[in-house]
Amino acid sequence: MTAPAIQTRDLTKRYEATTALDRVSFEVQPGEIMGFLGPNGAGKTTAMRILTGMLSPTSGTAQIEGLDVETESLATRRRLGYLPENISLYPELRVEEFLAYRAAIKGVPGHQRRARVTESVERCSLGDVRRKLIGRLSKGYRQRVGLADGLIGHPSILILDEPTVGLDPHQIRQTRELIKELGKNTTILLSTHILPEVEMLCHRVTIISRGRIVAVDTPDNLRRRLTGSGAFRVELKGDTAAAQQALSQLPGVANVHRRDEAGGFTLFGLEAQGGTDVREAIFRLAVERHWTLRELAKDQASLEDVFIQLTTKESE
Amino acid sequence: MRNLWALTLREWKAFWYSPIAYVVGTVFLLLQGFVFWFLMNVLNDPRVDPSFNMSQLFFGTVWYWFSILVMAPLLTMRTFSEEKRTGSIEILLSAPVTEWQVVLSKFLGAWLSYCTFWLATGIYFLVLRRYTPIDWAPVLTGYGCTALLGAVFIAFGVWASSLTRNQIIAGFVTFVLILLLFSMGLLTIFLTGPESKKAMQYISMLDHIRDFSKGILDTRPIVFYLSLTVAALVLTIRTIASPRWRS
Repeated sequence: MTAPAIQTRDLTKRYEATTALDRVSFEVQPGEIMGFLGPNGAGKTTAMRILTGMLSPTSGTAQIEGLDVETESLATRRRLGYLPENISLYPELRVEEFLAYRAAIKGVPGHQRRARVTESVERCSLGDVRRKLIGRLSKGYRQRVGLADGLIGHPSILILDEPTVGLDPHQIRQTRELIKELGKNTTILLSTHILPEVEMLCHRVTIISRGRIVAVDTPDNLRRRLTGSGAFRVELKGDTAAAQQALSQLPGVANVHRRDEAGGFTLFGLEAQGGTDVREAIFRLAVERHWTLRELAKDQASLEDVFIQLTTKESE
Repeated sequence: MRNLWALTLREWKAFWYSPIAYVVGTVFLLLQGFVFWFLMNVLNDPRVDPSFNMSQLFFGTVWYWFSILVMAPLLTMRTFSEEKRTGSIEILLSAPVTEWQVVLSKFLGAWLSYCTFWLATGIYFLVLRRYTPIDWAPVLTGYGCTALLGAVFIAFGVWASSLTRNQIIAGFVTFVLILLLFSMGLLTIFLTGPESKKAMQYISMLDHIRDFSKGILDTRPIVFYLSLTVAALVLTIRTIASPRWRS
């Protein structure tokens, strides 16, 4: 049994006032393209920066191919190619000059460097701009130079932080194709806030929101789990059995279960389909049946909420 | 080692690809050209005692100090500030390189550029040689001391640059730091006790360069300069390794 390509256990990162990551545990298997999906500010970049050794976690551990990123930082960094979000390169260097420099510091022996630069340039379709100054390149090209840099050390794992942000549609398509191609022989952890991107590229998805993992699944399963479902909580005083019966007969309600009972009140969990908001119907029912209502709420931070944020983002 | 070399080469290139190199170079060479012209005039003056040591008129003059004190901040202010500001520090530190390699390469890149400027002034001595015999020992020790002084100032400059993402602030802090370091030697003027005077002379850069430009090779200032350089570089490594700096 080989070690997972990436494995984190209870990874937590706290800043003075905020918790950027809260006990995040996930695994990426060798050869997998794992999507790291979440709205902006969810903690994706923080997690990636910990994996690349840029930040150290407040607590918890992260491993790359079984090696701890903190205690064996150099060895783990050798196995990684990293494309940061909003990549910043050295504008005064020419593309091939930059890549040769990066190959050198990533330990590619001198006699192989030229070949390695050419290989990276070709894989990322940079042939036209090989001799151009990086400072003169468009955003799309710079992103690809960053990707070429990620590849140049022949890493077994690529970490790509929002690789398609700020690109035009044509460049986005090209970049996605390239990632797909790279995924054939490299493990990839890819962060994005764009749902269709994940569906297009990834074998599995980790959804992260407000520093916590909300779900890990394949894109297909997630879609099935998510389509139009919503969760609500109702706490009321009344005839429990009759209430459960009545609630389950409301239009749109798929499932009702008793969660808790205290002081004559019963807490029900409801699942609704088709994206219906059943709260108003529940309220009317309670008035009609003379139930005392103590709580009526939509379950926060549910998968669906994250999902809605994500699906609406693509259009911006 | 290979990493260090590749990183240093990049620092070196970054400097020579920037307009700062040519502005600093021009001003520096103009100043030194003036010093040389001044030196020639003194040497041509029949009233000057021919036995005096001419390299004293090159090392340790007002212009000498001015150019070192101004050059060090200009050479080092971008080293870390610029990478921190643009964000390229992220691809630098996520590469498999150690912190000491990064710091040492930034120091070496700036220091080698500094030495290059000074080496260019060697031409003056080569020209002079055609007209008058030159005692090379004081010239060489003068250059040696200049290189050591530069190492101290540049190490402090690299440290200052690691403290801020603003180049101007980095440059100014460096200037103030090295000016203070330089001025400590001047305190000897106010001291009357022979013991304290002796102690202050140990750190007086003015005295050091005077000795070196006479051809006196003293190991105490060498140790002093090397320790200061190492101390500043260790501080820089500590700075960039700290979690606050990286967040």
